[in-house]
Amino acid sequence: MHPRLIRNFSIIAHIDHGKSTLADQLLLKTGAITERQFRDQILDDLDVERERGITVKARTVAIHHEYKGETYELNLIDTPGHVDFAYEVSRSLAACEGALLLVDAFQGVQAQTVANAYSAVNANLTIIPVVNKIDLPVTRIDEVLHEIETVLGLDPDEALRVSAKKGINIDQVLDAIVERIPHPAGQPDDPLRALVFDSKYDTYRGVVTYLRIKEGTVRKGQKIRFMKAGLVHDVLDVGQFRPEPTPCEELGPGQVGYIITGVKELGKVHIGDTVSDPNNPPAEPLPGYKKPQQMVFCGMYPIEATDFEKLREELQKLSLNDSSFSFTPETSDALGFGFRCGFLGLLHMEIIQQRLEKEQNIDLLQTAPNVTYELLLRGDKTMLLDNPQNVPDAGSIEEFREPIAKVNFIVTSDHIGAIMKLCEDRRGVYKTTEFLSPQRAQIVYELPLAEIIYDMHDKLKSVTRGYGTMDYEIIGFREADLVKLDILVKGVRVDALAMIVHRSVAERRGRAICKKLKEEISKHQFEIPLQAAIGGRVIARETISALRKNVTAKCYGGDITRKRKLLQKQKEGKKRLKQFGEVEIPQKAFLSVLEAGNDE
Amino acid sequence: MSSEILISPHDGATTPVRRPASDAGNRVPRSAYIHVPFCAHRCGYCDFTLVARRDDLVTPYLDALEQDLQTLADPQPVDTLFFGGGTPTHLDPAALRRLIELACGWFPLHDAAEFSVEANPFGLDEEKIAVLADGGVNRVSLGVQSFDLEMLRFLERDHTGDDALHVVDRVRRRIENVSLDLIFGVPGQTRELWQQTLDQAIALAPAHISTYGLTFEKGTTFWSRRLKGTIAPVPDDLERAMYGDAMDRLTAAGFVQYELSNFARPGRECRHNQTYWRQDPYFGHGPGAARYLRGKRSMNHRSVTTWIRRIQAGESPIAEIDELSPEDRAREAIYLGLRQADGVSRRELFERTGFHLDDLAAAAIREHVGAGLLSDDGESLRLTREGRFLADTVSGDFL
Ligand SMILES: Nc1nc2c(ncn2[C@@H]2O[C@H](COP(=O)(O)OP(=O)(O)OP(=O)(O)O)[C@@H](O)[C@H]2O)c(=O)[nH]1
Ligand code: SF4
Ligand SMILES: [Mg+2]
Repeated sequence: MHPRLIRNFSIIAHIDHGKSTLADQLLLKTGAITERQFRDQILDDLDVERERGITVKARTVAIHHEYKGETYELNLIDTPGHVDFAYEVSRSLAACEGALLLVDAFQGVQAQTVANAYSAVNANLTIIPVVNKIDLPVTRIDEVLHEIETVLGLDPDEALRVSAKKGINIDQVLDAIVERIPHPAGQPDDPLRALVFDSKYDTYRGVVTYLRIKEGTVRKGQKIRFMKAGLVHDVLDVGQFRPEPTPCEELGPGQVGYIITGVKELGKVHIGDTVSDPNNPPAEPLPGYKKPQQMVFCGMYPIEATDFEKLREELQKLSLNDSSFSFTPETSDALGFGFRCGFLGLLHMEIIQQRLEKEQNIDLLQTAPNVTYELLLRGDKTMLLDNPQNVPDAGSIEEFREPIAKVNFIVTSDHIGAIMKLCEDRRGVYKTTEFLSPQRAQIVYELPLAEIIYDMHDKLKSVTRGYGTMDYEIIGFREADLVKLDILVKGVRVDALAMIVHRSVAERRGRAICKKLKEEISKHQFEIPLQAAIGGRVIARETISALRKNVTAKCYGGDITRKRKLLQKQKEGKKRLKQFGEVEIPQKAFLSVLEAGNDE
Repeated sequence: MSSEILISPHDGATTPVRRPASDAGNRVPRSAYIHVPFCAHRCGYCDFTLVARRDDLVTPYLDALEQDLQTLADPQPVDTLFFGGGTPTHLDPAALRRLIELACGWFPLHDAAEFSVEANPFGLDEEKIAVLADGGVNRVSLGVQSFDLEMLRFLERDHTGDDALHVVDRVRRRIENVSLDLIFGVPGQTRELWQQTLDQAIALAPAHISTYGLTFEKGTTFWSRRLKGTIAPVPDDLERAMYGDAMDRLTAAGFVQYELSNFARPGRECRHNQTYWRQDPYFGHGPGAARYLRGKRSMNHRSVTTWIRRIQAGESPIAEIDELSPEDRAREAIYLGLRQADGVSRRELFERTGFHLDDLAAAAIREHVGAGLLSDDGESLRLTREGRFLADTVSGDFL
């Protein structure tokens, strides 16, 4: 296919502004799927995606559009909107010449709209602004157009007005893609350079490598080289996603599809690598991608010690299909053998945990998440710390540094004060305020990442009654007065409950955690003192009194079933308890460290 | 008992080995329960199946009951018959008579059978007592709860302490076997007050006393008041001491604590309730009533009107079926066994369920014997006195 007839674009937007729904319509209108095959957000086919109604993984489809008597091939990529998966968006953008930027006709420009629009501009893409959901009973289309102009610097006259749900003006979108987005530049007989933008493991076919051809052509039967990995393979199969994998003879410049090379291990195919022709090598590889950085860590421990190996296997499998997730074995006095796992954010963490528990049936005990710290030690050594348990002796630390994020809030004007208070309370450093319109403003703060993951999102939603949005990116590490807070249960230090906090809030947090633990740990046959301590100094305490009476008075007829079920449920819940000395601590207690932050 | 050959249960297998044995569920039921869902008003702590101030439903209820009993096809002779509520004696004499005739028609009683009726002091006049006695009722369980007016008011009971004293006398003139229900752990109740209540009950010399710690059940007004913080349960330690007082004073007065909440003069245990704890089969009719037949426990719909409507429509009144696996049934047998003074007999458990106690729960036995909550003489396992305070903690580990 001639590059002149090819268009590559991503659909980008703030979360829930309708990307996947627009993709549905584009597939339907171009005949890639039939009315009968249609279902809402058809590309969101992972269990987690369907359950949560969000896109987690970018998806590619080749569709065909007739325009002025010619058939064009459009390669669309539906991207996720959630900030945890921003790296998926930037990867997708690197494989395109254009982007459809969707903006909800009521919600207008939001934090991820801004972030994604900037990414597209930085990648030199042509942006087509699309105001979506014009069918909503209440819209603010004129204001939204104004925001598109002032905030994003895009021409509002170029904006399309559509309803992805009702299928209104979808033809205009298809035509605009052909008219406005430049066709790919490469030539079919240039030396082959193709970007590996994703990969997947298929039980029958081995690794499926997702490619965007920049220059040259890849054909079935030829040899290719993965330039970074340095390995040469035969191309056993070539195909496109339409949306099902559909074999074809070759992929030319600009085309997006997959090759199958007989590689059996996902680890051998590197996302961001360049595929070339060993017989006609290019001068240099493509730029590739920055590796996504894990910023949130937690410990994951099997409830049943015997599940440890199974957990390792499953983590291995998951990490192969999701290179943004990491894990290393660790041990805890309290929890035994487990893994320290790294994630892009809290949603990412939740999703992985859910997959392990639901799909793989492993009962997990998860510790409260924490961020990565950077320590400058005596002797000018630096170390990265992703587990509060491993904080070295205070005397050996020169500088304790924490990750800082630049946070971009978009809120209505009447909430500016509340947001500022929220940020000041969380050690934020004010940067700028910019009015998007008289009613809405964009506020920028620098905030410790730890403060963001504790509760920022929930707090933002509550102070703005659901209307505020935020986006953040890590800008580096900064020194802070941080201390390790230990929790002692009946005199025993529970390593898995330790955390790193700013000295100024240590006492408050210690108190909140002890209080929370008191609620979570059920009474035992003896008293349980709970203490929070820094070094040897106790800064907060609570006591759980002894269980003195626990007996059902009435147990007749139908009571028996009810009571048995209740006790069985409690026993089931007990599986999630870990024994510390004589005390049983439930799973929820480990996460209470996180929730205790919310109570402040 | 069947005589099939048994694989050694001690072959190190991790799953308990069950020997096919005679099944409790297959025995012929010798007990019947009938639920009578009417009360003058609903007490603040009560979550039983009942309607208050809906006496218009009495006749439809009796009609539906009559229709439902016909599903039995043939009369089923029983050893125990129990009318529970609600307040069965809330029915007017004519309705009460009809209920008794209906029940005794379908569940004929022999001379030595036990026929119990739950009653409340309020409104239990000579006429109703006569209807009961003439109808063959030979045991009355009286919801006395307390003799203290303040407590009774708090519990929203509609009788006074004096009413209770008089009604005991009145009943006993016709029906000698009387049981008293008492409640402890009422907000505001002191330990002295409870001890006094116990002593007053003992002074009446009833055949049987049940004591119940007040619980806050979801959906009751007490529950919501507790959530709002306008009432608070008594402290754990006080409630514990009160339960201890009940055990001490009643046993000292010659009662035997044959079940966690039940005390009887020797030979006066409630045979009907023992059916439940021994996992024997029984019939059950009326809204919310449970039955245990062929190894399956099933519960009727708890809404009185739905129950009536379903029966009128020829539909099954059953809302929930609890079908236990053989192992769960054995575990439940342990749970129930531990509630009784006799405890769980290894031999009996094996004969009834085919499971060996030690295969099912060696760890729990070790732990709780070690902690002094269970005593084990090698044949039977029983709660110790300390264990009774923590019965759910202990027996929960066997489920
Ligand atoms: N009324 C209306 N609702 C729409 C329209 N487009 C999408 N929606 C609804 O908006 C919600 C989110 O749609 P999605 O397509 O999943 O949004 P998304 O941008 O893909 O979301 P993420 O992938 O999670 O970022 C769904 O409930 C859609 O039905 C539209 O044009 N009109
Ligand atoms: S009298 Fe008994 S059954 Fe009736 S409402 Fe009061 S406590 Fe409940
Ligand atoms: Mg989506």
